[in-house]
Amino acid sequence: MIEFESVSKVYDGQRPALSTVTFKLAPGEMAFLTGHSGAGKSTLLRLLLGLEKASQGVVRVAGTDLASLNGEKLARYRRRVGVVFQDPNLEEDLTVFDNVALPLRIAGFKEADIPKRVNAALSRVDLSDQAMTSPRVLSGGQQQRVGIARAIVHRPALVVADEPTGNLDPELSARVMRMFTQFQQLGVTILVATHERAVVESLPFRHLTIERGRLVSDDVGASR
Amino acid sequence: MRWLLDHQSAFSEAMKRTRDRMTQFIVVICLLGVLLAIPGWLGQIWLGMASLVPSDAVQSEALVFLERDLDLESRIDLERSLEDQAVIDAITFIPKSEALDALSASDGLSQMTVLRDDNPLPDALRVRFSFVGDEAGEAAVIDGLRSDQRVMSLRYYPSARVQYASLVEMLGLLGLGLSMLTIIGVLMAVFLVSAADVVDDRRRIELYTLLGASNGFIKRPYLYRATLLGLLSGLVACVVIFGLNTVLSSVLASNLEALDPELGSIPMDGRILITVAVVAIVASWIGAERAVHRRLHALH
Repeated sequence: MIEFESVSKVYDGQRPALSTVTFKLAPGEMAFLTGHSGAGKSTLLRLLLGLEKASQGVVRVAGTDLASLNGEKLARYRRRVGVVFQDPNLEEDLTVFDNVALPLRIAGFKEADIPKRVNAALSRVDLSDQAMTSPRVLSGGQQQRVGIARAIVHRPALVVADEPTGNLDPELSARVMRMFTQFQQLGVTILVATHERAVVESLPFRHLTIERGRLVSDDVGASR
Repeated sequence: MRWLLDHQSAFSEAMKRTRDRMTQFIVVICLLGVLLAIPGWLGQIWLGMASLVPSDAVQSEALVFLERDLDLESRIDLERSLEDQAVIDAITFIPKSEALDALSASDGLSQMTVLRDDNPLPDALRVRFSFVGDEAGEAAVIDGLRSDQRVMSLRYYPSARVQYASLVEMLGLLGLGLSMLTIIGVLMAVFLVSAADVVDDRRRIELYTLLGASNGFIKRPYLYRATLLGLLSGLVACVVIFGLNTVLSSVLASNLEALDPELGSIPMDGRILITVAVVAIVASWIGAERAVHRRLHALH
């Protein structure tokens, strides 16, 4: 599903943010990406989301070289990816329902099909009863779950999460991780960037460690 | 159908955002309207006042008395050579009886009726110079006529514009410079206000990009909102210009009516109002478009 082949990324006049990183993630596989701040996690995710182009090497997703995409093709690619942020990035002017419906509206789904999908996504994150409320009145954990529902509502084949538990307490972190596990069991490929080693080590999934832009370990875990 | 739905959705989004920040939106529209009215009103003064200026203030004139025995062919030949001059606007043949009246009127004398029966004057040509002609061009024509064998004599009535050419030119340049500065300043204000709306939404633009929205999808609500902002600011500016013109007219009304009973007010020039509204919409639209474009470009 995801393939990094000797990928390097150098920003103007700086040391490489990523240096010859190579790994593959099979369809339906879940992996954690860990490393200290500035290790290169965000750069790797930006490459995966098509926000940056690799200076060297190839990034492929489902066989497509991301460097070959731009404009509308890149937008179409992103519509097939679910993204979860550390800050849920919800639109406060919209209801929870409309926030979750955003990817569907962007992708041009018919309005008649939207409620069914949104309700299913909210049900997966146990927020069906909050559909018509404003994100302002939700707790941090609930907001993060809305963000997760928004990431999976269009049933993407790949979900990318950037520090999704960074602002949550351990109990909520564990709950969010359980949700990712459930999505993985449904066949979704999931890559979670985090610096919380305790959370990672408690789960039997593949674990990639990145330091100073280099992939220093690839612990396959017990899931596959 | 999809295209229509996208635009409908973008318009609804723009209206929703406007409703959510209604007070801010109204204040901005009023401020921009007043700013836009400044160059608009300057333009209105220029055009409106120009319509009140007597034509002889801007157009010079000459009465060219022809040689008494000049044959028709020579007269027509002279008229044609004058018509070819760029600084000349119109040439009218005046029979000698009318020339006598014109001469007595221009000299401020009463009708020289006693001379009617035994008119000492020849036929004449009334030459009206262009209102954009310069002093040197008119002088060259006059010198040419004075040395022309077909011309007995001439009276030249230079316009106030030509008489005070250097002063008029200086004032014109000063006015033009100030107007340009005002226009640039106002356009910058509209541009920046429209762009500020986008900068406020940096996170939203990033989110929509990551969710797979196309550039068009992201831009449309901002462009609709900017168009609405420009349209309403332009309308406010038109109302302000109209109001200022009415106030100025009322101040000048008594003087104007004394000059000419038909001049009760300074005529409002519709071109000014249309230009102000269109400029407001275009400036606002471009401001929003460039700001979203820069934001999207920065993301990649």
